[in-house]
Amino acid sequence: MISCKEATHLSSKKEEGKLTRMQRWELAFHLFICKNCKAFVRNSNFLNISFQRSEKAELTEAEKKAMQEKVNQSGLK
Amino acid sequence: MGKHQLNPEHWVATYGDMLLSYAQTRVNDRELAKDLVQESFLVAFRSKDQYRGELSEKNWLYLVLRSRILDHFKKKSEVAFSKLGPDQDDDDVHFTEKGHWKKGAAPQQWNADRLALSNEFYSSLSDCKDALPDKQNAAFTLKYLEQKDSEDICKELDISASNYWVLIHRAKLALQDCLQGKGVT
Repeated sequence: MISCKEATHLSSKKEEGKLTRMQRWELAFHLFICKNCKAFVRNSNFLNISFQRSEKAELTEAEKKAMQEKVNQSGLK
Repeated sequence: MGKHQLNPEHWVATYGDMLLSYAQTRVNDRELAKDLVQESFLVAFRSKDQYRGELSEKNWLYLVLRSRILDHFKKKSEVAFSKLGPDQDDDDVHFTEKGHWKKGAAPQQWNADRLALSNEFYSSLSDCKDALPDKQNAAFTLKYLEQKDSEDICKELDISASNYWVLIHRAKLALQDCLQGKGVT
């Protein structure tokens, strides 16, 4: 039976579909009986989704002006 | 010439906020994000003769910005690689010799439904990602924000596949630790 350390490693590789059939079985079995690793995998999945959320950022009018100015200037050189 | 054209005089007004949001989500630092966007506009402007009009103006600018962001992470992780000797095995913090969770290091399952609605959680998440070592942060950002697969990331950061998996693994453990330390449950 695989250890928790191995199981958590395999769970990362699983995200990219990089497991052999044997490894998939070992992982599934481990997660079935190990509450801690199951929590780790669930938390990881939640983090993956959370990272997809993008922040909204805005430039101030002054910053926009300065930025566009630099672009215009680089054209004159 | 393709069907698209460039209008550099409208770039900042049209795409400035969009590109800033994109950069800031990835580098997690507004000033740095702003610099990257400014640089991208300048690089794009200087290379506008190479624009063939096959991509839309917007996608072309995103492409330039992405490569600036990638450069940023590459530089950071190169410094990190040269600074550090062989990585210490901080798996030991979490696992016993036999590979079981150490007492107190085992993760507790979070209440995802509640956290997803909590702004405090998202700000802790940014802080914890920032606190990751540079190499881990670079690999993690490319994987989860750029949705790149492991082969591409290994090439871009010039690391081996096994090294990559170790980085991702440690980043996940460290993130969960850090978040739990901030009271996430």
